[in-house]
Amino acid sequence: MIKRIHSLKTIILFGIIFTSCDPIVHEFNDIEDAVMYRANIIKDVSAQDTIKVMTWNIRFGVARLRFFGDGCGDRVIMTNSEVVEGLEGIAEKIKQENPDILFIQEADVQSKKTGYIDQAQWLLDHTDFNYGAYGSMWESQIILADGLGRVNTGNLILSKWKLENAERYQLPLRGDQDALTQFFYLRRNVIKAKVAMPGKSFFVVNTHLTAFATDDTKQKHIDGFKSILDGISAEGAYFIAGGDLNEIPPNASKMDYCLDDQCEGESFHSGGETEHKEGSYFEPEITWLSSLFNNYTPAIPLDVYGAHEMGHFTHSPDNKLQLDRKLDYLWTNTLWLNGMTHQEATNLSDHIPVSALWVIP
Amino acid sequence: MGWAEPQLGNGSADLLSTGRREIGLFSPFRMGLNNGAEINVNKFLLFPSVSYKSEMSQFRRWKMAYRIQVAYPTMAMRWLQSPIGMKLGEPDMFALISPEFTIPQMASVYGELMGTIGTASDEQLSINGGISIGLNGKELVQRATVDLPIIYPRLSVYYNGILIKIGGEYYRKFKGRWSYIMDYDMFLMPGGDGRFAFEQKGLLIWTKSRKFKFLFGYKLVAGEYPYGSQAHLFPAMDFQFGW
Repeated sequence: MIKRIHSLKTIILFGIIFTSCDPIVHEFNDIEDAVMYRANIIKDVSAQDTIKVMTWNIRFGVARLRFFGDGCGDRVIMTNSEVVEGLEGIAEKIKQENPDILFIQEADVQSKKTGYIDQAQWLLDHTDFNYGAYGSMWESQIILADGLGRVNTGNLILSKWKLENAERYQLPLRGDQDALTQFFYLRRNVIKAKVAMPGKSFFVVNTHLTAFATDDTKQKHIDGFKSILDGISAEGAYFIAGGDLNEIPPNASKMDYCLDDQCEGESFHSGGETEHKEGSYFEPEITWLSSLFNNYTPAIPLDVYGAHEMGHFTHSPDNKLQLDRKLDYLWTNTLWLNGMTHQEATNLSDHIPVSALWVIP
Repeated sequence: MGWAEPQLGNGSADLLSTGRREIGLFSPFRMGLNNGAEINVNKFLLFPSVSYKSEMSQFRRWKMAYRIQVAYPTMAMRWLQSPIGMKLGEPDMFALISPEFTIPQMASVYGELMGTIGTASDEQLSINGGISIGLNGKELVQRATVDLPIIYPRLSVYYNGILIKIGGEYYRKFKGRWSYIMDYDMFLMPGGDGRFAFEQKGLLIWTKSRKFKFLFGYKLVAGEYPYGSQAHLFPAMDFQFGW
């Protein structure tokens, strides 16, 4: 009997030991539950006929600091006060615009580079949102490059109403990387959830597609995103969707940003037109968003964009405050009202918010 | 006698006999001196450390010893900023500390007391405890920490200025060439974002002769880091040679 108890103790001990250990890299299932958040204080919000929807890549709250990973900077690990200052700027803009649904990209959740702040919880507690659904696109206990350390960054949906059945859909991994790099690299995804507004319900979908793939990975990501929207439409339901698609509109007049994005010491187009900077040359993929434009309604229609391109740019890299391309979009399978590009927020992130009003069918 | 005491633990008050030398794949070089002492040198040249361990008067049935260690981590920490020498702006592969930080000249001094009861030919219990003091030429920023098990507590003294370590180990010879060791260490890191770490190791030891032994088992690490608490389990092994 004593022997049996000892065996049981051993099994329990080893069970505790093994279950307490997480994998170095979180690889994710094809479909899995999103991570749910809730504000510390829940604000009472009644049902509405028209809601304001916004999308914003917040660049993990570091505003225009010269981060090494997405521009020409050399900063890697930001100070806590730098990140809080960046988040405060974002929270202030969110409160000023007062959206009911917000699609956020590049929210950090306890990453070393941003002071281990859980930005999803921080934003919930410093704005008027009540609920959140988070899906990581990069979760690793350690990234063995540049001292990045622990990383968890991803897409976040914030809502004033409760979110239900929130799911994270895995998109294909980059096809132009070796196996080791791919293992430690980003795992892009789409987050889908149902908003449980009293008496009404609709779907919200958020995504952030690949920026630097040099093969057809981005096309696959656009197809994956669209297939989720198609699935909602096929059920006869309504959706609002948004995100940083890292793609310019099909009627964009400029498609080559290699020289604009070139950092000190880099050189492009000096050895012929085949040399391009990753993520800066859009010509071969200029039609990839056409399927979305042909099937669904954008907050900024193509003719409106085409009539005044500069007024709808949403991004400029690094610390360049002059916005020079549109990468961020809102979509629905019904209609938008009053689509707006908030270019006054250009110092708060390397992307600026896009918002629109949506009449709930 | 010295060979029977497994080096990987090295938390006992036992000393190597005069002139005896030992080294392991993952453990430092040790040599017994003729004045009831031994010297211990880290063979990883980028992180040089030297310790001197000496016997003390017996306390009741407890053999007692003390150890003083001096370590110089600067070269190793600078190497961790760019192990394969890539420039900033390109991926600095395998860098554990961001190249944006300046690693100053630093050293640490560690003093430890240890007591052992029992004999290595049968079983013995050891307890030990010590304090490490960090000496920095210039302040090292907290953001430059390596937030990984095993490394984080050992480097904490250079960020916080002080580290307290308390531990114990139990060794038993149980059948022929086979013995085992269970040890436990607690690191207290006052002033750090992570305040404590516990490490527990269990190793089976196969002793072929006085010249070779093989150790294998596990190491469980649970601790607090700047992001919160986490536990890790690692396999542990070593090949040790003596002459």
